[in-house]
Amino acid sequence: MSDQKKQGAGQTPGTSSSDLSRKLSTLLFISPLIFMFLFFALPMMFTVVFSVFERTMFWMEPGFTLFAYENFFLSARFNNFLESMYYSLISVIVCFILGFPIAVFVRKSVPQVAQHRVVLLFILPFMVSEIIRVFALRPVLQRNGLVNQTLQSLGIIEEPITSILYTHTGVVIGEVMSFLPFIVFSGFLAMEAIPKYIFEVCSDLGVRPLRVFKDVIIPLAAPGVFAGSVFIFINGLGVALIPNILGGPGAVNAGLIATQAIVALDMPMAMAISAIMTATLMGLLFIGHKLFDITKILSPAS
Amino acid sequence: MRQLEFNRRMFVSLMGSTAIAAGMPSLAFGAEALKLWAPGVAKVGANDWSDMKAAAGIDIAPIAKSARADEAIQKMVVGDGNKLYDAMTDNGGGMEDALGSQNAIAKLDVSRIPNFKNIVPDYNEGNIGAHTIRYEGDIVAIPYISNADSLAFNHDVIGEELNSWDALFDSQFKGRAAMQNDYGPTLTNTAIYLKQSGKQDIENPSDMTAAEVKGVCQFLIDQKKKGQFRTFWDGFQNGVQLLSSEEVLVSSCWEPIQIFAAKKNGADIRYGTMKEGHQAWNNILMLTKGGQARGMEEQFYKLANLYLSPWFGARTLAGLGFNPQMTGVGEYIDAHPDDFDANVKQTLAERLKRKAARDSVKGNSWQNVFPKEMRAFQDWWSKEQAA
Repeated sequence: MSDQKKQGAGQTPGTSSSDLSRKLSTLLFISPLIFMFLFFALPMMFTVVFSVFERTMFWMEPGFTLFAYENFFLSARFNNFLESMYYSLISVIVCFILGFPIAVFVRKSVPQVAQHRVVLLFILPFMVSEIIRVFALRPVLQRNGLVNQTLQSLGIIEEPITSILYTHTGVVIGEVMSFLPFIVFSGFLAMEAIPKYIFEVCSDLGVRPLRVFKDVIIPLAAPGVFAGSVFIFINGLGVALIPNILGGPGAVNAGLIATQAIVALDMPMAMAISAIMTATLMGLLFIGHKLFDITKILSPAS
Repeated sequence: MRQLEFNRRMFVSLMGSTAIAAGMPSLAFGAEALKLWAPGVAKVGANDWSDMKAAAGIDIAPIAKSARADEAIQKMVVGDGNKLYDAMTDNGGGMEDALGSQNAIAKLDVSRIPNFKNIVPDYNEGNIGAHTIRYEGDIVAIPYISNADSLAFNHDVIGEELNSWDALFDSQFKGRAAMQNDYGPTLTNTAIYLKQSGKQDIENPSDMTAAEVKGVCQFLIDQKKKGQFRTFWDGFQNGVQLLSSEEVLVSSCWEPIQIFAAKKNGADIRYGTMKEGHQAWNNILMLTKGGQARGMEEQFYKLANLYLSPWFGARTLAGLGFNPQMTGVGEYIDAHPDDFDANVKQTLAERLKRKAARDSVKGNSWQNVFPKEMRAFQDWWSKEQAA
């Protein structure tokens, strides 16, 4: 009897421990869903609902009107939105041209043990606050800035170039300076998934480097490159700080247009812009995922 | 003496702790600190507000505030401003009405402010600034600075005195001009220019009709598309940097921007008197309903009293170039030669003379934070920004 009791007593904790473990596993499994619901789906739902509210003098009130959307699509804001997509795309391309070769170089030419350290070293400057880095570009790019003074002292130009700062060019430079690590990191992750022997095989077969890059590296690293590009594109479209500091008249992005709507106390408009921006990005993400399957970035190549 | 010959040494000597004159009330730090939501220009002296605290005889917990009207409205009307702040500052001429109408600020008992008797006559009933401190006839605010905004220009490069807003839109300054990224001063000053130069029919630049707002914004959009503006500046530092780096040669801006830009690069950057007129404005101190409920009135009135003292007026004029809101500043400066030496006195006299010249221009118009057609202002300003 006493043995049975002992056994019984031994089983109960075992059973509850197993239950607890099961519950924890379930919770762990659904926690991303809870996170997505609380921090993405719910705010997005409110954004869409508020975007059709009636605006008041200082805020908004419940109602249904598509005025904010009409106002967006029938004004210069829509052109600005399209332009900011265009210039964000340019930033993505420039980041790819500058950043992806770094990822390839590190993966191919740096010894395995040092690769992560080299990547970390490269992105170290980007750990400085973004606002400081962006603001610091002004004295470099301005009329009497470092770039113009250097070019003038070298005799390359006579008059300072004024199309660098307070223009779309300035915004693209700022975005590249801010978002380059995204492509380096994701590019490196994608490259890490490519076994090194593939490069050796290509080398043994005498394949030219350009062809290796075009026909081997790019297709294998495409999910990582796409993921990095999406990060850059989203930030280029939404981070108001950069056009606010480096952009001039007309050089704005969707984030700055939304900020301007908030300043004008037009909350439904700000919500509508946010909703349109999110819908656009979700659409692009869906298409990109269908083309490249970005989950591959996290799974090693077999 | 050149207009801007006002160096760092004078500034420090004026704003330094030694300037806390004898006779100022003793500190009452036993009492709770007044939570004051205000921008940096609301103080003189040490950056940590210690001179202001000592001079007012109260403890102050300052909370940094931007100049954005939308932020103030959101915080006080739909946000938790009344829980957070006992007192706040903002532009007079609309903000007091907006906050008064939303029951966010308290009516003041000016008998508890001994220096109220010194307030400049502009604020007496029936005078130009009277409405900026009143809501429905009751005094709800105390002014602490005012000015008439104008055009700053780089005299070293331009080589002549500018006295018309025309310069801002002149093609010779194409790509070297800037305006403020704020529809209030920018649209009002442009409207003053268009009205006084006969280019557009505008009844009241401070309270335009929707059609008038459209006309002004379309004028600015045309200028923008022609590449006239280098940028629209946001914030004090940005304004200073544009002028001091010679990125722009002409800029409609606040007077402290001109003063600090000139000090920064040593160039002869001047603040002109525009023949068409200027947007006049003030900044006011208000007691929040929350502050009143928490029993912070005594601390508030002590601060209000300091803001109307020549001690504050002389220092804000010297340091930031703002108009004192009280009488007796000249006498105060004369009585304190240790704080205001002959050079400083001359600079201040010149500054006051130029202020008087700007204030006397007939086309001046008082800032209106919430014009009747505010939606038209906001909508057209958004279009102007997006163009």
